[in-house]
Parts: sequence; C-alpha cells; structure tokens
Amino acid sequence: MTTRNRPLWIWALGLTAAATTLAQAVPRTAHQAAGQSAAQSAGQSTAKEEPKTAEDVIAAANRVCYYQGNDRSAQVVMEIVDAQGRTRTREMTILRRNTERAEGAAGELSDVECCASEQSFYVRFQHPADVDKTTFMVHKKPGADDDRWLYLPALDMVKRVSSADKRSSFVGSHFYYEDVSGRHLDADERTLVDTTENYWVVDSKPKNPTSVEFASYRMWIHRGSSVVTKMEYKDASGETYRTYEVLGVDEIQGRKTVVKAKMTDLRTKGSTTVTYKDVKYDIGLPEDLFTERYLRRAPREFVK
Amino acid sequence: MKLASWVADVSVRRRKLVVGVTLLLTLAVGLLAALPSIWPDSFPALHGVKVDTDPENMLSADEPSRVFHDEVRQRFQLNDIVVVGVVDDSNAEGVFHPDALAHVHDLAEFAKTLRWKDKNGEDAGVVEVDVLAPSTVDDISQGGLGSVRFEWLMPVPPKTAEEAIAVRERAQRIPFLNGTLVSEDGRALALYLPLTAKDLSYRVGAALKERIATYGGTEQYHITGLPIAEDTFGVEMFIQMAISAPIAMVVIFLLMLWFFRRMALVAGPMIIAMISVILTMGALIATGNPVHIMSSMIPIFIMPIAVLDSVHVLSEFFDRYRETGDRTATIRTVMDELFAPMLYTSLTSAAGFLSLALTPIPPVRVFGIFVAMGIIVAWLLTILFIPAYVAFLPEKTFEDFGASHAEGEASALSRALRRMAPRVNGASKPILALSLVLLAVAGWGISRIVINDNPVKWFSPDHEIRVADDVLNSHFGGTYMAYLALDAPKTTWDPAAFVASVSARLLDKKTSLDAEGLPEITSAFTAAENELRPMAEAATDATGALASLEKLASDRADAADSDDVAESWDEVRSVLSAERQSSDVFKDPEVLRWMSRLQAHFVESGKVGKSSSLADIVKTVHRELFLGEDDQYRIPDTSAAVAQCLLTYQSSHRPDDLWHFVTPDFREASLWLQLTSGDNRDMVAVHEALDEFMDEEPPPGGLEPHWFGLTHINVVWQDKMVAGMLKSLGGAFVVVLLLMVVLFRSLAWGLLAMVPLTLTIALVYGAVGLMGKPYDMPVAVLSSLALGLAIDFAIHFLARARREVERQGSWAAALPVMFDEPARAISRNAIVIAVGFLPLLFAPLVPYQTVGVLLAAILGISGVATLLLLPALLGTFERVLFRSRAAR
Repeated sequence: MTTRNRPLWIWALGLTAAATTLAQAVPRTAHQAAGQSAAQSAGQSTAKEEPKTAEDVIAAANRVCYYQGNDRSAQVVMEIVDAQGRTRTREMTILRRNTERAEGAAGELSDVECCASEQSFYVRFQHPADVDKTTFMVHKKPGADDDRWLYLPALDMVKRVSSADKRSSFVGSHFYYEDVSGRHLDADERTLVDTTENYWVVDSKPKNPTSVEFASYRMWIHRGSSVVTKMEYKDASGETYRTYEVLGVDEIQGRKTVVKAKMTDLRTKGSTTVTYKDVKYDIGLPEDLFTERYLRRAPREFVK
Repeated sequence: MKLASWVADVSVRRRKLVVGVTLLLTLAVGLLAALPSIWPDSFPALHGVKVDTDPENMLSADEPSRVFHDEVRQRFQLNDIVVVGVVDDSNAEGVFHPDALAHVHDLAEFAKTLRWKDKNGEDAGVVEVDVLAPSTVDDISQGGLGSVRFEWLMPVPPKTAEEAIAVRERAQRIPFLNGTLVSEDGRALALYLPLTAKDLSYRVGAALKERIATYGGTEQYHITGLPIAEDTFGVEMFIQMAISAPIAMVVIFLLMLWFFRRMALVAGPMIIAMISVILTMGALIATGNPVHIMSSMIPIFIMPIAVLDSVHVLSEFFDRYRETGDRTATIRTVMDELFAPMLYTSLTSAAGFLSLALTPIPPVRVFGIFVAMGIIVAWLLTILFIPAYVAFLPEKTFEDFGASHAEGEASALSRALRRMAPRVNGASKPILALSLVLLAVAGWGISRIVINDNPVKWFSPDHEIRVADDVLNSHFGGTYMAYLALDAPKTTWDPAAFVASVSARLLDKKTSLDAEGLPEITSAFTAAENELRPMAEAATDATGALASLEKLASDRADAADSDDVAESWDEVRSVLSAERQSSDVFKDPEVLRWMSRLQAHFVESGKVGKSSSLADIVKTVHRELFLGEDDQYRIPDTSAAVAQCLLTYQSSHRPDDLWHFVTPDFREASLWLQLTSGDNRDMVAVHEALDEFMDEEPPPGGLEPHWFGLTHINVVWQDKMVAGMLKSLGGAFVVVLLLMVVLFRSLAWGLLAMVPLTLTIALVYGAVGLMGKPYDMPVAVLSSLALGLAIDFAIHFLARARREVERQGSWAAALPVMFDEPARAISRNAIVIAVGFLPLLFAPLVPYQTVGVLLAAILGISGVATLLLLPALLGTFERVLFRSRAAR
C-alpha cells in the first residue's frame, strides 16, 4: 500500500492505549479482538493502573475513543441502511486535533483532564457527488456549547450551526453529533454494575433527563484496552431502542483503534455502519486548519 | 301441483323427522360458528367471527390500485394515523396557554409509550419515531450569531403565556406544521399518532381517553382518524345487529299477531326467519367470510323475505281452514296453490341478490351470495317446515279460529280493500296516466342523482366521530389525506448513451482540473475512458456499470504507485458519482418548482386545504439558511444546492421524515394533500385538477402521477360499484323477466310482471335524485332488494288473477275476488315489512337508516303499484292478455 499523501486518519470512535499488536490472522469480532489483545498484552500494558471506579473506567474509555494521539485523520465511509434495505453511502474525511497536547511531552494529562480538554473536528464530504466539498467544523468545548460551522459549496455559504442540542442526527445517519464528538463526562451519573473477566459494565443516567431522549445507557468496556465494544440505550420503560457495537478493531501506530462500528435503531430497524480507512495519528495538523477560512478551501495536504 | 301436495304430505307425516332435522341442523351450524368465536383457542381449525370494517376491502386484495396503494405506503412508510385534535374555545389564545399545552405535552409523551409486543414478538402500537406532536417535532429556526438551529418545538411545557404563544408562532413558521400540527387560525392543535396496524386504534383510543379524563382542563379533545372510525364502526355494527335486527323482528311479530291473532301460527314465520338467519350467518362465519358492513345487514334482508312466503301460506291457510276444518287437508291445498308463486318469488328474489355476485366488490359479492342462499333456505323451510309445524300444533289452537279471523279482517283493511275494487276498475286511464307522469318525474330525478360516498358520513351527524371530523376540518387544512406518487420513468439501458455521458463528464472534469492548474491529476482519465465501453457493454443496467467502474477506480486508487495517480482515480470516482446522481430526479430544481406549482394549483382548486412535499422542506431549509428571510423561501438553483439543503435538514432530530416524501434514490416522490372533505366527489374534483394541470404544464422529465391513499381508494371502489351495480341490476332484470316468461308461459305476462318493480325502482331512485341524497353503497345495493321484493307481489297477484279470470270468466268478475284475500295478503305483507323496518331509522349508523327508509319505500310503492297499476293494465289490455285463454 502506498503512502498517499492524504489524510488517512481517524476520528471518533475507538482507539486504545493498549500497546500490543493484534494478530491479523485471528478471526475477530470486536469482542474477540479486544479480548485477544488483552490476553497478549497481559503484564506489559502501560504503567497505568486499572481504573477502580465507574468514573475512572468511563474517563479511560472516553480518552481511548476520542482523544488518542495529538491529532488524527481518517477516511470515513458511512453506510446508512433503512428497514427496507435501501442503502445510502456517504464518504468523508474527518480530521481531529486536540487543543491541548495530551500525549508526547504530556501523558501528564490524566484521563479526566484529557476528556475535559478542547478539540477541533473538520469533516469534509466527498461522496455523494452533490455534497462534495460540503464541510462541517466543530470546536468542541466540554461543559459548554460547541461552536459549529457548516460550509455549503453549492450555496457558497458558511453558516454557523447551533449546537445547543447534540442529540440530533449526524447528516441523516443513525449516529448523533454527540456520538461523533463525544459526550461530556459530567453529563451523566454512572454506576459500575458488573466486572466480568474481560469487561466493565457501566450504566449511565443523565443528570438532566429532559435534554436527552434516553433514560439510561449501558456500556461494555474492554478491560485490557478500554475500548467501548458495545452500548445499549434504554427508554423510560427500560426497553433498549438503540444499540452500538464495534465490528472491528485494529492496532494503528500502537493505538487500539475501532475501524468498523454499527449503530442500530431498533425502532425504525435502520442502521448505520461506519468504516474508518487510512487512519493516521500525529500527522501534525496545524491549528489554523480549523478556522473559517479553511472551510471553503480545504488544504490539499490533508483533505483531498 | 303434485310435487307440492306430496311434499306437504311427507312433511306432515314425518313431521318429527322434519322438525328434528331442521333444529339439529340449525344447532350444528350455529355451534360451528359460535364455538370458535367464543373460544377461538379451543377450536383452532374452525372459523370464528371476523369483523372487517376496512373500506380498503371494498376492493379485492389483488386489485391493482390497492396493490399499488399498499406498496407505495410501504415505500414511503406511511402508516394509518390516529388524530387527536385539541381545541379550547374558552381561551382567547385557543389551546396555546400553559395549562393546555402541559396536558398536550403529557398526552404526547404518554402516547409514545403505547407500544406492545404482538403475537410474533414484533413491536405493535404507536410508531414513536413518527409521532407528530409539539414535543416530538423539530423547529428549524435562527439561532444566535446568524446560525441555523434545529431544536424540539416544545421540549418541555411552556411556563408562561408568552412561551405558549411562542410555540404557536414557531410552528406556524414551518409550512409542514402549519395547518397540520397547528391550525391556520392558531387556536387548535392536533397530534398525529401513526399505528403499526390499524386494528390497534381502539386500544390506543381507549388509553388516550383514560389519560385525557385525568386532565380536567378547559380544552376539549377529539379523537378521530380513519382507523378510529373503522374500529368504532365495527363496534356500532355489532350493536346494530344485536339491537336493531331483533327490534325489527319484534315489531314484525307484533304486527303479525295483530293481523292473525294466533300466537302459535305467527310463531311459525318467526321461527323460519330466525332459522334462516342462523343458518345463513352461521354458514357465512363458518366458511371464514368476515362480517363486513354489508354482511352485517344480511339478517335485515333475509328476515322480510323469509317472513314473506310464510305469511302468504298462513294467510291462505286462515281463509281456507274455515271451509274445511281439516288442517292437514287445508295445508295440502294451500301448499298446492302457492307452490309455484312461492318458488318463483324465491327464485326471483334470489336472482336479484345473486346478481350482486357480478359486482367487482368482494363484500357486496359475499352479501349477494349469502342473502340468495338465505332466501332459498327460507323457501325450503316454508314448504317443508310450515306444514310439519302446523301439524304439530295441538288441535285446540284452531278452535274458533276462522271466526275471530274473519271478524278481525272484516274490519279496517278488508273493508278498505273491497271498496277499492270497483274504483280501480273505473280509474284505469287516470292510473296509467299518473304512472307515466310519475315515471317521467322519476326519470328526471334519476338524471340528477349525485354519486357520492364518504365512510365518515356513515356515522350520524351527532356521532362523536362526525363531531370531531367537523371540528378538526373547520380548524385545519383538512384531515382527509390523499397522496400523489410521482414516479420518474424507468429508463431503458443504453450502453452507448451511458458511455457518451460519462465521457463528456470526464472531459468536463479534465478541462476544469487543467484550468485549476492540476493537469497531473488527470493521468487516470484515459485509462478510465478505455475501460468505459467494455464495462458498460458487460453490464445490464447503469447501476451495475457504475458499480463495476467505481470498484475499478477505487482498486486502482488503492494500488496506485503515486499520490497523483491515486488522486486522479479519486477524481474519476467523483465523475462516476455525479453520473449516478444525474438520475436523482427529485433533486432537480425544475422538478421541485413544478411540484410547487402543482401544489398551488391544488389549493386553488378549493378542495385541498393544504399540501406538503419535498419542495416545501427544501424551501424551508433554504429560507432558514438565509437568515429566515421570507424571500428566500424558494428552491435553490442547482441540484447540488438542493442536496446540501437536504443534508442540512437531515441534521435534525427526525432525518427520516424526508423518506415520507421521497425515496432514497430520489426517483419517486409523494405529495401529501389534506382535503377538508372525504366526499368522493371532492376527491374526483382533485383528480380533475391534476389532469388539468398535467395538460397545461406537462411535468419535466416525464414524471408519472399515481394517486394513492384511502380517500382515493374510496373513489376507485365507488366507480367500480356504480358500474357493477348497473350491470348486476341489468342482469337481474333479464333473469327475472325470463323466469316470468317461463312462469306465465307468455311474453306479455312476463313483461306485465316487470311493471311494478320497474316503477318502484324508478320512483325510489328518482326520489333519491330529487332529494339530493347521494347515491352511496347502501342505496346502490338496495336496487337488488327492490327488484326481488317488488316482483313478489306481482307474481302472487298475477298468478291469482289469471286463475280467477279462468274461474270467474272475466276480469270484471274476478276483480272483487282479487281485492279480497289476495289483496289482503299483499297489503299485510307490505305493511308488516315496511313498518317492521322503521326501527332502523333510530340506528346510529346512516347506512342502516337508509336501508330502513328505502325498504319501507320499496315495499310501499311496490304494494301500491301492484294493487293499482296491475289491475289498471289488466283491465285496459284484457283482450290481449286473456285472448289466448279465452280461445282455449
């Protein structure tokens, strides 16, 4: 495979700080994959102590999911399927940059501190053709409203987008904005309901129930890698109506990285499968890339 | 007739067997239907009662317009909807005050929880994601800093009066919500609760009512929508069958008792009516046919006909018993005399109903076939069971029988009839002239008949469903939904044209990349061009060709040995993607603008209160992207701009709402029309408005319009019904005429027998036309009944007339005899049945009222026509009619 001079990184869901390589030959579901790596990395995985409380578990998981590396790029394919089996595909490049350097010189940031730090996202659509170059940018501010911009090339318009509600659909997929950029740690109260051989099982309840559509959600977090492998959202009657599952994890630049995941809406029977290709960490994304002037004209270096 | 007396003999001699078999058979059929209805689980192999109140079933399941309707509804995920309208006349702001909105909020949240698992473990109940309520819909509006914002319209109940009004104002800014969720007058709102299956509406409605009862606010709730109406109709239908039909039976019984004064003898016809009804309905249920609005009326139709024959037998029996004093001999004579007329009246009535089997409407077919069956059953019972029954009665039942009978009949009715005889004879000419005048008036009335139906109007005007319907349609754009599917034509696969199109796109792209100073990015274009033709020729359609080309481009990009080559292949991919999207018809601004003009045309037509489409969504998003300025409420100029508006729209809480209006391939769209009336004629006017517009402004890209939705389906079956009824009435007329010609062995007499029923049908339908009563389903079906009943009187009258003329020598001499017993039997029959069905007037369902009135009218008119017009004709054409006989 060539090294195409193109942003090949990831954003969002999944990555792990566990340091071992996953044998490619092993047949894998996400659970097995994470489990394998846990088995292999026994004894050598970082100096970190295993988290003790639900808060620790979630902070570690959140970091693995959203904050690995100082920056990251990925080519993302979203396949949205409805109950009738009709499929729509969206393809985009997603760039992410942590404002505070959490790794390298750092590592000094704790999981909780890291998850409270600001980040920027830059999402550039390529397919379908009629939304080519449509761009979406977020300055994520944990604990406050994010700043969001939208560039619509066909209308030659850069638009601020209100972000008061993060639980609306991400461009028609079954993922919400919050799934893409991460839910703030302080938004929920949580309990560690179970610790199995491989997983922590954590239940979260929103502190402000009127701001969200769920009553609670449960996460299965792999103990070795802190990768969230499964989530179930429940409504007020305790029924699960929305599930997230990881379908593939790779080790990229020493970081456990989710490369395929699926969000399913059990009510509409639709689902979105997201695939991350060409994930790259620490490519040196400049801070000013995440400003309004780059919305109209993406730097070819990072975005095709 | 030999056969007749033999049957009577057998029946009398083997009376125990006859009665025993009849009762056993009735019990067996009754149980066959009753057991699986009461304990469905214990008798899984048997059919229990199934109720079908779905107007869609007026069309067979494989009817193309219905298949299309189902398929398209599935495609656009359009479920049947329960509508909860909320109004508050006590408040200046209508329902837009905190108290009412708090209740509305609670009700919507409660409605979302109305979900269960069905037998198969599937979710059933309210489709939560598609609920339209202030708390479940998105408001797209201006946020701070010129940003566009999606947020729930009313995430929590407003606390102040100002906040409550703000909810209204925001909703009214959204075209999709204004006139649908919030009324245009700003005083009412409506919740829309889609159901997974419409038979859940009763359960959902009941739960909502229970919740609403706890509010105690000043606002009123109206629960309606077609599924609710259908369910309610089913319930009312059973009440109807359980109350109206028995009441009719009781009234008939009392009238007969008044005429005949002998409980034991009157009980005979009632038993026959009851057994006929049980056997017929039992057979209907046991054979798995659902009880539909039509079949629920079967008892009401069978009863008069079943009673009719036995009344003739009894009437005759009464008159003769006095002469002989021997009931066995009397019943033999009576059966002998009445056998032929009864056989023919039953055959003709059965033929009238059987003709309904010619209609293309399944419930009407089932109705016709089973009523015909019931008539034949009633006939068999009359000739077999009545003699056995008479034989069974103890002797003392007949003591001083004739005397009281004679006295009773010497009173009112008999005297009146006897006095009529000479007058009728003298008034032949005026009677004929009057009949002709009436016929002419009837013809004019028929020409004014308005064909129209509306299932909601099957409820009487003060029914809560009708009240809700009136209230909601006065506030909103309309609650009757009609949908127009617009399909892009299927294109035929032309590889050469495909190659030409993609080549042109590649060339364009190359030119623009060169212009951008990036010629190195076009290195792959020649290779792509070379692959184009073979791949297109190997493919069977454009989708296949694009898929293989896209795979090639993405493989080559991955395998490329330089970044420039890889990027070049990516450019090829984007060209292919653009080619793929060129078929996205409903992103084309021209198409969307055409749709908007079509919508405006519909609203101008006056029948459509409001319409919604993809064009409205695009325009709304476009306006909000441009700071909410009203002049930006328009379709942007390129399809990419449309696509980007839609991408923005899909960042809302309800991105899937889009797929109610367009398919994901953007090749099919649905346009929603809200009609304020569910009258078929209004839907027909909307059909015409479409045709007019299509002529004026042919759609771009050859779009094909197809109607669907229940309001449209109603028109389809109405059209079929009108044509089908004419055919079946015509067919029945010919069959009955042939039977008459055979019975009387004369064409002239056959035609004569048809006169009263012709006049009856003409007058009844003439009156329907003159009164402006719409020609709907019950009215249409009654033409068969009119035919079957009106001929009965004529047969009895003419058969007797011919015999009496033979006996008495001339018509003049026969006339007084005719106006004695025969006229009395006819009058009794007409009165018993006409009056017996008047209780139907108090029914809460309009079709039953219609049937009651028309039955009475048919019986009355055909009775009078028989007693006046036939004597007049017999007198006038005596020579022609009795010539052959006199010669013989």
